[in-house]
Amino acid sequence: MATTALPQRGYLHDDTPNLGEWIRSWLFTVDHKRIAILYLLAINFFFLLGGLAATFVRIELITPQGDLMSSDVYNRMFTLHGVIMIFFFLIPAIPAVLGNFLMPLMLGARDLAFPRLNLLSWYLYMFGGVFALSAAVLGGVDTGWTFYTPFSSTYSNSNVILTITGAFIMGFSSIATAVNFIATTHKMRAPGLTWFRLPLFVWAMYATSLVIVLATPVVGIALLLVAIERIWGVGIFDPALGGDPVLFQHLFWFYSHPAVYIMILPAFGVISELISTFSRKRIFGYEFIAFSSMAIAILGFLVWGHHMFVSSQSVYSSLVFSFITMLIAIPSAIKVFNWTATLYKGSISYRTPMLYALGFMGLFVIGGLTGIFLGVVAIDIHVTDTYFVVAHFHYVMVGGTIMAYLGGIHFWWPKMTGRMYNEIWGGISALIIFVGFNMTFFPQFVLGYLGMPRRYHVYPEEFQILHVLSSAGATVLAVGFVIPIIYLMLSLKTGRIAGDNPWEATGLEWRTSSPPPTHNFEAIPVVTTEAYAYPPEAAARDAAEWRPGSPL
Amino acid sequence: MAKTSTSAGHGAHGDGAHSEHAAHAHISRGTYYRVFAALMVLMALTVGAWWIEGIVALPRLLGVAIAMAIAIAKTTLIVLYFMHVKVSERATQLYAAAAFIGFAIMVIITMGDYFARGWPPPPGPLP
Ligand code: HEM
Ligand SMILES: [Cu+2]
Repeated sequence: MATTALPQRGYLHDDTPNLGEWIRSWLFTVDHKRIAILYLLAINFFFLLGGLAATFVRIELITPQGDLMSSDVYNRMFTLHGVIMIFFFLIPAIPAVLGNFLMPLMLGARDLAFPRLNLLSWYLYMFGGVFALSAAVLGGVDTGWTFYTPFSSTYSNSNVILTITGAFIMGFSSIATAVNFIATTHKMRAPGLTWFRLPLFVWAMYATSLVIVLATPVVGIALLLVAIERIWGVGIFDPALGGDPVLFQHLFWFYSHPAVYIMILPAFGVISELISTFSRKRIFGYEFIAFSSMAIAILGFLVWGHHMFVSSQSVYSSLVFSFITMLIAIPSAIKVFNWTATLYKGSISYRTPMLYALGFMGLFVIGGLTGIFLGVVAIDIHVTDTYFVVAHFHYVMVGGTIMAYLGGIHFWWPKMTGRMYNEIWGGISALIIFVGFNMTFFPQFVLGYLGMPRRYHVYPEEFQILHVLSSAGATVLAVGFVIPIIYLMLSLKTGRIAGDNPWEATGLEWRTSSPPPTHNFEAIPVVTTEAYAYPPEAAARDAAEWRPGSPL
Repeated sequence: MAKTSTSAGHGAHGDGAHSEHAAHAHISRGTYYRVFAALMVLMALTVGAWWIEGIVALPRLLGVAIAMAIAIAKTTLIVLYFMHVKVSERATQLYAAAAFIGFAIMVIITMGDYFARGWPPPPGPLP
């Protein structure tokens, strides 16, 4: 490889003569950074759409009567919310946006291993999205995001097939991204970048990719079988024809439990980067964090039956699944302890990304621990299909994945755009989100424990106060999500020029210009140190030099 | 784009410059024909086993076991030779194996549930 430095411009630099060319330069780009921006726009669009559906759900639940919509419309509304948020936001969010942007930069590569496959994955995502949206426009789906048979396969009169096709296609988009990350990590690391010098974000993305490649085909087949059963009535899930509806739950959760790790592992990766950078310390227990990602990826395949404790699954299976569920909490806890140990005696600065990281740690612990409650059969039979479960998974998915996604977007925003966002508004909105989130979802633990079932729009009067609290919290949360959209957009015009490394972070992505040139590096970097090589005395020195009002 | 050669007859050793490709061994055309022949034989065996089962009234379990054994042999041949896993890198082999292990986990645990359920007598078609 020639080492002569080519004169290069930032990847955002536009030298197209007219509008048509400009559109082509984006829609046919094979630059991983531009594809990441395409994903950023598309994914955030779906997030807003899913949020809109959630808004209607929360408005309906303000009163105990079903006054805003019929139960049928309500079913379609929460299904729309679930399908969009899970398949079109949470699963692709961090890998497709931050992963796409950062993997080659962190690995010291010029692009991903298969740039065209990367572009194809975006088109698959959009194509799947169009299917799901058309299902919504044509009247929606009422099965819930879980598509349980026999309702979905035999009884439902809604657009099940269109939605399923959308999720099916979107699965291939995930697989394409995952294959790309695996090949890139194996083959395109910069000289000197050994496996144990990789940033933990790369380890997390690698573990995620493994899960995606192994699990996604199963949900594809399971969903396809539902469609086949609907069209031709073949009787895979219909007991009258010799099928078994619970088989669907096995196949579905064989994917969808690993899928919750597809959502949270990338978030773990982001948090490791943030905690280390804003503590100015080497991460504590690097190998443990790296291997716990792999352990989660593998163990995650063995616990799916904890979603099926009341499904007529055999009690022996439930016993085993319950036991393995306890085991999988261990690697998650290892990470939290290591992050905490990293904070210890660090020079902590409460910049916006760090606020999100600290919020993540608290909320994920609540979400994870309530997961353990649910993994105990005796408790789960009491609270399954109640708001307790709803609160659990929102704590891990919103409090976990979305917090990490937002923290990561803020952290790498200067790299992606070359400009700083407004730190004051950043901090304010992070706090609003934290408060709004807890206000929305903590009451739901109480509601569920008292017996409020999920997926109902009419409820006894005594639950109203908690529901109103939750809806009020959702309003605060919505405000918290809108503020960043405004100041991030404004920063594109008015933000301070960031410079190459505004956070004084380690990591190869900070060694190139902001925004990076099309081929990422003037010359391929050579790595000689481990990741997070902050000088041991950095934290102590920062502390000695700290004055009120210092930026870091 | 460097292609992994599918035919040693052309000796397409393309990109000698890339060290990764140097490790890429080839499967010769003769091997392909032999694997193909073996698959045909196995197919004949499948049909034959079905015939014999009908004649000597083998227990059903044994019949299934024989059919599965033949099917596994076929799959192994296809994966190793036609899908090039035999001459792929270690990482590729690992992923191929992982897919099978994942699949086995799915089938074994799911079937484990079915066997452990203690089935009531079939209730017949729903009203
Ligand atoms: C820390 C370990 C975790 C444990 C032990 C755990 C355990 C459980 C259990 C037992 C259930 C079933 C509850 C029921 O339906 O009765 C459940 C539901 C759920 N969990 Fe977790 N969980 C954990 C982490 C996560 C994470 C990290 C995510 C996502 C990022 C997640 C997402 C979900 C979702 C979406 C559901 C509900 C699915 C549905 O029925 O719609 N969980 N969890
Ligand atoms: Cu689960």
